[in-house]
Amino acid sequence: MGKPRILIFTAMASLGLAACGTSSPGGNANAPTKVQIAAEGPFTGDEASIGAGALRGIKLAVKDFNDKGGVHGTKVDLVIWDDNHKAQTATTLQAQGISDPTILGIVGPMNSSVVEASEPGLQSASPPLPFVTESASAIKVTDAGYGVAHRVNARDDKQAALDGQFMIDQGAKRVEVLDSATDYSRPLADAVQNYLKTKAPTIQVKRDSATNGQTNFSTVVTNMKAFNADWVFFADEGTETAPLVQQMKQATLQIGQNIQFLGTDGEDDPSIVTSSQGAYLGAYASNVTADPQSVSTAASFVSAYKAAYGSDAISQAGPFYGSAYAATQVLLQAIANSTVSNGKISRNDVLSHLGSDTFNTILGPIKYDNKGDVANVTIGIFQAKGTTASPQMASVKSVSG
Amino acid sequence: MDYFLQTFPQQLVNGLEAGSLYALIALGYTLVYGILEMLNFAHGDVFMVGGFLAAGVAGLFVHNGVAAVPAALVVILMVAVAMGGSGLLGVGIERIAYRPLRNANRLAPLITAIGISLLLESVVQVQISPAPVLVPSNALVSQRVLQLGNVATPFTGATLFIAALLLMVALDLFVFRTRFGSAMRATAQDREAATFMGIDVDRVIVVTFLIGSALAGIGGVLYGLRFATVDFFMGYLLGIKAFTAAVIGGIGNLRGAVVGGLLLGVLESFGGGFISSQYQDAFAFLALIVVLLVRPQGLFGQPLTDRA
Repeated sequence: MGKPRILIFTAMASLGLAACGTSSPGGNANAPTKVQIAAEGPFTGDEASIGAGALRGIKLAVKDFNDKGGVHGTKVDLVIWDDNHKAQTATTLQAQGISDPTILGIVGPMNSSVVEASEPGLQSASPPLPFVTESASAIKVTDAGYGVAHRVNARDDKQAALDGQFMIDQGAKRVEVLDSATDYSRPLADAVQNYLKTKAPTIQVKRDSATNGQTNFSTVVTNMKAFNADWVFFADEGTETAPLVQQMKQATLQIGQNIQFLGTDGEDDPSIVTSSQGAYLGAYASNVTADPQSVSTAASFVSAYKAAYGSDAISQAGPFYGSAYAATQVLLQAIANSTVSNGKISRNDVLSHLGSDTFNTILGPIKYDNKGDVANVTIGIFQAKGTTASPQMASVKSVSG
Repeated sequence: MDYFLQTFPQQLVNGLEAGSLYALIALGYTLVYGILEMLNFAHGDVFMVGGFLAAGVAGLFVHNGVAAVPAALVVILMVAVAMGGSGLLGVGIERIAYRPLRNANRLAPLITAIGISLLLESVVQVQISPAPVLVPSNALVSQRVLQLGNVATPFTGATLFIAALLLMVALDLFVFRTRFGSAMRATAQDREAATFMGIDVDRVIVVTFLIGSALAGIGGVLYGLRFATVDFFMGYLLGIKAFTAAVIGGIGNLRGAVVGGLLLGVLESFGGGFISSQYQDAFAFLALIVVLLVRPQGLFGQPLTDRA
């Protein structure tokens, strides 16, 4: 017991000395003069409903980190880049970060299409600007071989296997696979279609497509009905789901009664129940991250989120508020572990710590492989329950690995 | 073949419903073009503003899915506010952005119109909502599904079709059977000569914008009630498709706009249903190219003036 006591005493003494010191703005001789990170995502635009909740998670993580002393006493400043789900906006915003060496990393971008467009620029910057995304799940995000890429969520291949197997286990016979023609949606729908074809060749699959922003689904719903589908799989970011399920209901395809519905991450969102005027009740949605409410290590985070943003904030937080907090924890810990030299931290050093360290997050420990993927991520399937006025997404299945 | 026969009537109904919305918006494009020979690219966004005004009125009176006053009254108020608001917006845009450029190079008002379109989208996105806004249609209108054999359409979809047809007939009667309609047609034929004949051309143009924009406003209400949602970007693609419908029918021709809209809706529906839903939007523009190659003046060809 002697050694730990000595260590604690030494740590307290050094903290005390640091508090007394006046040699740097942060109050610590080893403190960096300025530390900034950027939060990037669709905070406005068609996907603001998922971006806004994630941004709240990031803000809370930065606040909690700063409250505990920041980086050797220096508080971290958060820069907010609203990319509006547009690659062009994203690269313009990132150019500011690339030229400012005190911006040490990005939490985000959130959309796979935006990430893929951003990676070459972030990698070729000198020094490269690392990012930790909380939601981008396309396989290419980390398979493209850019060292700056890291994520805390699972990849599409894991999600496709979970989704496909779930429908097989539930006894699906005729599956309508729908995509919404985005970089995110189409490969995921392809992967699920291939999974079904390989693992359960007796299941009949019909493939259809919607467009991003579409509200009139009458043609697709007519196809669905004529095909006599018993399951609909819709890989979507969430914006098209409410009108689709509502028009399914109008065409007498009632979710949970004569048809089942499985959506993806953006559809793990109880607000769709309200916006579809109840038609979404009973629908399933898979998510590439764990639900913080079902993770014991995230309990205090969930309470803090409610305390900061209101008791009903979770129902409006979207699917990525927890993974956004965890991604911020990863980036901030990598920064805190980096060497401070002449009041500066190098992005190269942050990048090297992202690759080598193990990070403690609310969703469990995170250690990256050489691609920037996490070996062990919990993903799950949720179901829309409750009422139109007070809906929730309840966990039905959770898989780790 | 079975599949085709089974779904053909339903896809036809789907197409007519979608097409009636294109037609309603196309009327505004064609009216303004007929009078001013100007493409009002902001028209799709005037439709969007109409939808948001209707959603705003609905939001005032409907709480937790229950209307605080009789639902019919709320719908009447939605229509009145959306038509009035959109109409005035159209008049305002004409006064501020188009009138000063009436004698300028033809490109100037076109670019201004695109600018107004982006401005309206940005203002609604920033000031009102970047995310889709709910229109609580199930508290306001019947959610019944009308069924005839294999064909089903929701009451709101049928309403959209009927309302669009009635408004088109009313507009046609107004333009071709009233004194003011004659003034409109005279202005369309020769603005200078109309002035010499004692027609207040400015007033005609203002009324044209008022009517076209009010029709877009009611289009916004019908859209909100049908799809239960409005968003700041909803006028973009619909506006382009309505413009396409107007060109297919023969821009400047009211009946052409109606036929063009319905045709476009049906073509899209058949293309999406029987060929590939992945190319559904492309069918609209493919139709445009084919029609313009075969009949550059559009199907109906004659402008507003020729039926005088």
